[in-house]
Amino acid sequence: MKEVLTMWRHTQMVVLVALSAAIYAAVLIPFKGFPIIPGAVEIRPANVFPVIFGLLFGPAGAWGAAIGNLIGDFFGTLSPGSIGGFVGNFFLALLPYKMWGAYFRRDENVEQNVSSGKKLAVYIAVAAVASMACAVIIAWWVAVLGIFPFLATLVLIVSNNAIMAIVLGPVLLLALYPRVKQWGLLWTEIMNPEEVPASRLQRVGNVLVWVGSLGGVAVGVILSLTGVASGVGIGLALLPFPILILVGSFILGGREQVEAAHEMIAGEGQESEA
Amino acid sequence: MDPSLYLDRGTWVHRLDPRTKMFLLIGSFVLAFVFLNPLYLLGVLAVVLLFGYLAGVLVNLRRIWFILVAIAIVSAILWSIFGSGRTPLFLFVEREAVTYGIGVALRIDITIIAGMIFLSTTRNEEVAIGLVRLGIPYRFAFAVSTALRLVPTIVATGLTISQAQRSRGLDLESGNFIERIRKHLPLLVPVFVTTVRSTNVFSMALESKGFGASPERTYFLQIAMGRRDVLVLVVFVLLLAGCIALRVVGGYGGLEGFTR
Repeated sequence: MKEVLTMWRHTQMVVLVALSAAIYAAVLIPFKGFPIIPGAVEIRPANVFPVIFGLLFGPAGAWGAAIGNLIGDFFGTLSPGSIGGFVGNFFLALLPYKMWGAYFRRDENVEQNVSSGKKLAVYIAVAAVASMACAVIIAWWVAVLGIFPFLATLVLIVSNNAIMAIVLGPVLLLALYPRVKQWGLLWTEIMNPEEVPASRLQRVGNVLVWVGSLGGVAVGVILSLTGVASGVGIGLALLPFPILILVGSFILGGREQVEAAHEMIAGEGQESEA
Repeated sequence: MDPSLYLDRGTWVHRLDPRTKMFLLIGSFVLAFVFLNPLYLLGVLAVVLLFGYLAGVLVNLRRIWFILVAIAIVSAILWSIFGSGRTPLFLFVEREAVTYGIGVALRIDITIIAGMIFLSTTRNEEVAIGLVRLGIPYRFAFAVSTALRLVPTIVATGLTISQAQRSRGLDLESGNFIERIRKHLPLLVPVFVTTVRSTNVFSMALESKGFGASPERTYFLQIAMGRRDVLVLVVFVLLLAGCIALRVVGGYGGLEGFTR
């Protein structure tokens, strides 16, 4: 995950953090008046953005989603729960771009768009798993703090994130990808390969993130419904799942996407010279 | 629509160092989580409201009252369903669960009001320099303060785009809530495109002014901790220590009989 630190060297990435955070916050704020769980969950059409930001802007999109959510909280719902919101939204944008490369062979087109059936399926998969990971992290945090019940928070965040990202996301990505590519603002074009970790255990990382996300949701629901654990108890019981998500994110890498983008740019340059 | 909460009042609270206000904000979060009993939390709420009154910013409560009331109602309902206690109240609801729900609602309302007071008394520039002085890397603080500054601009862009679409016949007002959301969604694309296409010009403008050229920076806005800051922090730390002692040593402010 070193790219989440090395990206700050690039002025363009710093600007993209600021702009994506501002866009996310600007679309979140008008819907603060329509809470589902007041102070924790609102109706959030803006939740389509973190997955799109992640795929297009990579680590800048992840920081942008986290900061944008925090700024959204600044406009009426800032509380200790905002820490969970910051981390959860960071992973909501981080996981899609980290996992994207795990579904494509080296010789395949790995561009982060939905131009084929396979890419659309991959988009839906990574959006779903990122939505679950985000929900597990936030619901776990608010359960530990004793702010809101785990089950209600989990179900509402998963559905809020997944519906927005899966229904609206492909259309938005289809419209935005060509423009962002034309402006040279894709993270894979801005960052250098050596600034992104190599993907040596990509499949293992992918499995760990799936187990952490899906397992966190499943075990959390079972524990809540059976009443075996609650509050801090459920926080302790579910602790391994956010840790699995974190470890999986470290292992996933992402360099191959940057190398593929740079090879494509070099190829296009040679074609235009010829 | 102006989403900014800042009110230029010039009170002594406004003049406090931003780092002092950040410590007070975090401290008020801790204070809100010390007690569980709603009676004690009402005391904490009174202290926070008094601070907001002295800052002259309680007028901003009008902008978030809906959220505060909704939190109280939903929290009481949720914890009545998901929590349990010893004393039956009605049907399957126990008194301790309702009391806990009210306590949690007060906790969240206190932290939200504290956040509102912080934002109503602290400018974006002060937030940024406060973060830098606390050791947060400059580029991160710059991104946060730039995003905060850009939010009103993007909201205004969104309004301009929606007006342009209305002038072409797009009906954004009719239909139920879901239909109105659906009609607004196509406006996200031009908002995104209008904002993001300025990235390269923005980056060049920053670099032409030496952004990141030197690790050492100077700032137009100067902040310093004064006597007033020290006094406020000492009073607050004493209050916090007193409350923690009351809860931990004295055993006051808890809630007996509630289980989650």
